[in-house]
Amino acid sequence: MPTDATTLGMVRAGVCGFILCELLLTSFSDLSRLPVTLLRPTGAMQILPWRLYDLLLTSGGMLTLKWLMVLSLFAATVGCLTSLTTKTSALLFVFYEGLLRSFGHFNHDEMPAVYILIVLALTPCGDAFSLDSWRGKTRPRRSGIVYGYPILLMRMLLAWSYFSSALIKLRVAGLSYLSPDNLPNLAIFHSLDNLHDTHFRLAFWLPHVRQYTPIFVALVLLWELLFPLALFFKRARLITLALGIVFHLGTIFFMNIFFPYHLAMYLVFVDWGRWLRKVEDYLSASRLRSPSKGSLEGKA
Amino acid sequence: MRQTQETNLDDRHAEEDRRALVRYAVLTAVLFIPLFLAFVSTRNLYPFAASTMMLGIRDTQRGQTYYVLRGEKVSGETIDLPPIKLTNALTGRSWSLVRAAVENQSFKIRSPHPANIRLAAAYDGLDKLPRAARLEELLRAWGEIYNSRLSGSSNQRLKSIRLDAYRWEGGLNGDYDRFVESWRAEL
Repeated sequence: MPTDATTLGMVRAGVCGFILCELLLTSFSDLSRLPVTLLRPTGAMQILPWRLYDLLLTSGGMLTLKWLMVLSLFAATVGCLTSLTTKTSALLFVFYEGLLRSFGHFNHDEMPAVYILIVLALTPCGDAFSLDSWRGKTRPRRSGIVYGYPILLMRMLLAWSYFSSALIKLRVAGLSYLSPDNLPNLAIFHSLDNLHDTHFRLAFWLPHVRQYTPIFVALVLLWELLFPLALFFKRARLITLALGIVFHLGTIFFMNIFFPYHLAMYLVFVDWGRWLRKVEDYLSASRLRSPSKGSLEGKA
Repeated sequence: MRQTQETNLDDRHAEEDRRALVRYAVLTAVLFIPLFLAFVSTRNLYPFAASTMMLGIRDTQRGQTYYVLRGEKVSGETIDLPPIKLTNALTGRSWSLVRAAVENQSFKIRSPHPANIRLAAAYDGLDKLPRAARLEELLRAWGEIYNSRLSGSSNQRLKSIRLDAYRWEGGLNGDYDRFVESWRAEL
């Protein structure tokens, strides 16, 4: 488990940078055209008055929200006023994701990113790999747990998403989740309309191999249940994350469902500090080699 | 003198670390207790998710209704209109938004929008409210987004937009597309 300020700082930059890119590619003005009367505020979003939603779902309201989020996330990505901007980013992203869920259903793709932003907001993630640290506004502390525990917590939150997902399937559906019709039905249901984000038709091939689908579903459940092993063992981590990439790509083609945020949050499992040190060592070794190579060439 | 300063700095760091550990303990509890409760109750309570997305279809024989969004151009051509191309913020959610709009779900929440309360009252209550009472507004919004990207004189603009409902009767026998009904909005 990495326990250095650099890894935590790089995770901050990666998470905030990913969300920032997503937001920049999202049209808030198109969203503002949707009727506010279709909203069904969910959970904590019910606390807010309708007057706020009326003001928000206007062109000006949504553009204000977008640019506040972009500014805040950009500052958090580069580590400027990190303590403040990670908090505002977390708050604004919680609000924005709540707004989206008030239009549709409660899917859990973005939720690990929401929790990870909350963790970053309350940890010294600007102590390294940030403008704040380059300007000498912060200084890394010596105790590794201050940086190591937030990384562990973020990994635990992502692992919980998979582990609880498997347990809840077994709790609610029991062994019938492994019935040969379950996967083909679910996949076909998500492939019939044109309201999903992609329109792949591989689901209609599944009835032809329905007798084999329980094996595949059981393997996916097993992978989800064993996901927490990625917290403790390096080899298990590599296998688990590789299978995760295959699984999430598979759900696009078979179910027209994609979890990009889950995939992007795999970055919390990377020991960025070690990779950065490797790159720095390589660059300094190259610099050392270059003059001698030049002098040798000169002699030749 | 220098040694005293270093000792003071060490003490300050140790105190900061202790406070950080307390903060982390609270943060862990604040995140994981509601997540665990959401899991136990199988209920999503934003911002805490119960990961219920892939639970499967409980009764596979009951069948499902699904929807296809289409537009009719000024030129007369009918096209498929995937909503993700119109409101890309609703990634992975357009299908549930349409379903909720057809089923008047925004009228059935504890505290509906004042305009929805007025509309339900105008129909003498929720029971008499027609299905898809707000769907036309949604269709019109999507149609206007599409047209806003084209010049006013283009024959590629939409003159109307419609939502077609189909029924999948259940089972894996290939009988997936029995037409049920359609809603239409002129633009």
